[in-house]
Order: sequence, then structure tokens, then C-alpha cells
Amino acid sequence: MIEVRFFATFREGRDKVSLLEPKDFKTAGDILDHFRIHREEVAILLINGLYSPADTAVKDGDVIALFPPVGGG
Amino acid sequence: MRYERQLLIPQIGQSGQEKLKKSKVTVIGVGGLGSPVLTYLVSAGVGRIQIVDCDVVSESNLNRQFLHHTVDIGRAKVLSAQEKLASLNPEVKVSTVNQRLNPDNVKEYISGSDVVVDCVDNAETRIMAAAACMELDIPLVEGGVRGFYGYVMDIGKDYPCLSCLGYDTVKQKTPVPVLGVTAGIIGCMQANECIKLLLGIGAPLYGRMLNYDGLSGNWEEVHVKKAADCPIHARAEAGKRGK
Ligand SMILES: [Zn+2]
Repeated sequence: MIEVRFFATFREGRDKVSLLEPKDFKTAGDILDHFRIHREEVAILLINGLYSPADTAVKDGDVIALFPPVGGG
Repeated sequence: MRYERQLLIPQIGQSGQEKLKKSKVTVIGVGGLGSPVLTYLVSAGVGRIQIVDCDVVSESNLNRQFLHHTVDIGRAKVLSAQEKLASLNPEVKVSTVNQRLNPDNVKEYISGSDVVVDCVDNAETRIMAAAACMELDIPLVEGGVRGFYGYVMDIGKDYPCLSCLGYDTVKQKTPVPVLGVTAGIIGCMQANECIKLLLGIGAPLYGRMLNYDGLSGNWEEVHVKKAADCPIHARAEAGKRGK
């Protein structure tokens, strides 16, 4: 399975973690589309802790983490 | 005795307190994160603190930026903060930089700091501060908030930076929603990391993005990796070789 971990506001209206069938998804971008998350809403996309563009291929066992932008002031 | 209670902590004691007194920290941004960071670093007795911000206080800052009060609206943030911090602990030297950081001045301002704490509200300055810290080999404490959520992470030249995580591709169009207390919690965590780094105690959050979820009441750690093609790390390496 592919594990998708949502952080911050991406959790709203979703489970914190989703498990997906690897056969249904070729790239990280397909997963974003599945959850109706626009590319420009994502500040950080990690696959197994490593920055990955949306066109990166995904496979069974991958852990994907998604973060929106943050502020400080 | 101002520091009596923290002198009792075995990891601090008299020698740790002297270390704090000899330390210099630069805090970039005197807003929602900067307010708790500065309050706790000043009360802990960090000897010299430089605060950098080019904004003036506005009414919409007051839900989270507690170093600024209603009477400060319209004043420079660095001056408003300096006044409160001097009253809290006159033993600490607080210097101010009332300027926007840019690629030409950033290294000049942060050099000589033992730790830099990033409390800014835009991706551009975050990345610029990280690049300068890495070139100068100064540890940087990162923090960010959004609504009820936030994260904190330490950055160093041998550890992943925000650019490693692809953060520099982000364009923020609208103000980020922030609850004051969330900024307070994350800012306190940044102050804690800063004190750990100054004293060389505990396990710094290098390569560990610690995420806070104030709605579910959870903290979750995400282990992050240095990117092989990170432009900031590449520049820091090239700068070192050039010397
Ligand atoms: Zn990097």
C-alpha cells in the first residue's frame, strides 16, 4: 500500500492518514488529483522523507507527506 | 536571584548560565513567533540579542504579537519590542535592525550570531536566511504556523534545509490564518531549541520536522532528508571551497 500522511489544514475534511492501492496510482501527482488537492496548494511534498516533484513515480510501501505553506508573523 | 530556578536544572547550572550570557542570538521577525521567542530568550538571560524587522505595528498584529500593545500601533516593531524586553530583563543587550533583509545585507547582519531564529512570515526571507546561515555555518531554528497547526525544525549545513524540502517553490498569495496561541506554542518550541543549541544539550531537531496539531492535540515527527541537488546546500559548499 501507499501511505499518504496529511499535515495541517490538509487534514480538514480528510483522515490524517490514507492507505492507497499502488496499482491505481503512477505518480505523486495522481494522488494529489485523487484527493482534489491543487499542486500550488502544496508547499512540501515528501516521498519517504525526500522532496519529490509531483511527477515522481510512486510504488508500494512509499510514505507520502503533504504540507501547506506556513506563516510566522 | 533572577535565574535561581533555572540554575537548579542540572543541564544548565552556573556554567550553562554563563554560556547563555556570552551568547548572541539573532531573531528575524518580531511577530507572532518572535514575541514568545524573544520573551523567553531574554528572560533566560541570553546575553546579546539582535532583532530584525522592518514593519510597524498594526491592529491586526495584536491577536498574536504580544510584545506589541494597542498603544504601539504605528510604531516600529523593533522599537516596541526592545522597550518591553528592556523592562523585562535590563541585563540583556537587545540591538535592533529596522530593515528588510536582502541578499546583500543578510550575511553582514547574522554573522557573529551563535544561533539564528527564523520567525518570518514569507518563504523568500526564510530561504534567504537559511542560505546565509548555512554559508556562515550558523544553526538556524525554523518555525511556521497555520491556523491550529505548526512545525519546528533545526537547520544546519549538514542537515536538510527548507530548500531541500522544495519549499522555495512556494508562492503565498494571501495572509496565512493564525491563532495567537498556536504561534505562542511554536515560538516557545523555537526558544527551547535555541537554548538547547546554545548550551549543546539534548537532541536538536536536525532532520526532524516536529509537527503540531492543536485540534487533535498531537505532535508528530517527520524525518526529512537532505536533497542531493539542493541549491542552497550547493552554494554553501561552493562558498566554503572558495575561501
Ligand atoms: Zn538544502
